[in-house]
Amino acid sequence: MTPTVSASGLSLRYGGTRALDDVSLRLTQGVTGLLGPNGAGKTTLLRVLATAVPPDSGAFTVLGHDPGSSSGRQEVRRRLGYLPQTPGFHPDFTPFEFVDYVAILKELTDRAARHREARRVLEEVALGDVRGKRIKKLSGGMRQRVALAAALVGDPGFLVLDEPTVGLDPEQRMRFRELIARAGEGRTVLLSTHQTEDVAMLCHRVLVMAGGRIRFDGTPAELTARAAGRVWSSAERDAGAKAGWRTGMGTFRNVGDPPAGAELVEPTLEDGYLLTLDDAGAEVAA
Amino acid sequence: MTWHVDAGDLRAYAQGELAPPMLWSADTHLMACAECRETLASVGDPVSLDAGWERLDAELDAPRPGLFERMLVRIGVADHTARLLTATPVLRRSWLGAVVAVLVMSVAAAHAARTAESPNLFLALAPLLPLAGVAVSYGPALDPTYEMAVVAPLHGFRLLMIRTVAVLAAGLGLNGLATLALPGYGLRALAWLLPALALTSTGLALSARLGPVLAPSLVGGAWVALLLAAHAHDAKATLVPFTAAGQGVAAAVAALAGGLLFLARDRFDRSRSARFQSDHFRGTAV
Repeated sequence: MTPTVSASGLSLRYGGTRALDDVSLRLTQGVTGLLGPNGAGKTTLLRVLATAVPPDSGAFTVLGHDPGSSSGRQEVRRRLGYLPQTPGFHPDFTPFEFVDYVAILKELTDRAARHREARRVLEEVALGDVRGKRIKKLSGGMRQRVALAAALVGDPGFLVLDEPTVGLDPEQRMRFRELIARAGEGRTVLLSTHQTEDVAMLCHRVLVMAGGRIRFDGTPAELTARAAGRVWSSAERDAGAKAGWRTGMGTFRNVGDPPAGAELVEPTLEDGYLLTLDDAGAEVAA
Repeated sequence: MTWHVDAGDLRAYAQGELAPPMLWSADTHLMACAECRETLASVGDPVSLDAGWERLDAELDAPRPGLFERMLVRIGVADHTARLLTATPVLRRSWLGAVVAVLVMSVAAAHAARTAESPNLFLALAPLLPLAGVAVSYGPALDPTYEMAVVAPLHGFRLLMIRTVAVLAAGLGLNGLATLALPGYGLRALAWLLPALALTSTGLALSARLGPVLAPSLVGGAWVALLLAAHAHDAKATLVPFTAAGQGVAAAVAALAGGLLFLARDRFDRSRSARFQSDHFRGTAV
């Protein structure tokens, strides 16, 4: 599949911290998950790709446009939908007013067209019924949907979502996943998340970041396969395991390098993720 | 209904040629008036009529613009620009209330010290208010939608200028009203105006390089230092910046800074990204 977003050698320092360290990637249409612990560089990568922050070095293109030049950056921004980690709202705005405002920022100046677009995206995220209510009176899940609606204004080809499911209860998370899955049809979505379930359910591809670098780039099945033969069950906590916990069945589930004769169990995406981070930590320490 | 939309206006409405605020008035009226809707159906061709109904349908969701926004449109401001102006973060009651409080106190102080040659405290504070207003109208400090605005295709410099005009109009207007409360000082009570323009334009010009927090802080600090030095030199006389020579220098600084700001307009879009990184997210982005 032809890449819609290509980046090569992206690096960025904040003071003494190397937030991005020679990051290269290629994204295609569909939802790509970006996993990583706090401080991994996920948000920084999203901000760079969203043209909010220029990289110190490296280059990237979005839908064929190079944001290195002023005109290229404008073209990228015209094709971009961005949901920041903590989206801010004017407190007295209604969802309709807020989306309308964002539509103006996205250069939709014709009032009638703008209002049609506001209505369309609010319907798309199932907020048509509360479009006239003050945002400050909406639930956290609804506010996230307002922010997603704003990101969808103008039908962007590249959608950047920074931890949109944080703080949502399971039902809200499930609703949000439906919306993201729908948004991923026909466009490129980069979804940063801490939730491996989000990735397992939504993404055709997953990137794992740690220490400002991409540590894994492949399908969720390939990430899960990294833990094949490295997850086992035991009656007691295994001191040699990198991680282990008692399950509801009363046995211990261990992740790491199993001892001889261990009772191996099916790995999950989370196991693969944990082992990838562990391998990255060893590499960083070395 | 005691009135009806003119047939010519209805034709223009059907063809999508009616401009705000007449358009808004027609929208509101058509929602409630069956007779005008019937007339509308007879004056437009089917295609433009469908577009008209669609627009009216979308308008049903749109909130009625506030008084200030309607006033702006009435005096010829484009409706999308009026919306951006009214969404300027500092133009809220809390900010305007604080400005009014400062002005009332400084005017009261001037009345208390009626023997002085100039209302020095008022003249010292008045230029700082628009500077501070502009400083916080565009940046992460008070604008909750800053992160979304940064990655929007609307040029950052244009948004900055729109908000600057809004804040300057409000700030200078309030300062002007306060000046009217000091009739005893004659034109000397207006000696804040040129320093206000000089400080604001210098703060904006420097913010392209230093960011929306550091630049106005430095300019405000320099202004206070200048006044303290002038006061220390001769506490009883009119402070140097409010003399004829000082006013000339302020006018020259305002013009020079305005020119520099204009030259830096393209660069501004890039440097705001750098400021975004350093002012708001250092240490929290990764």
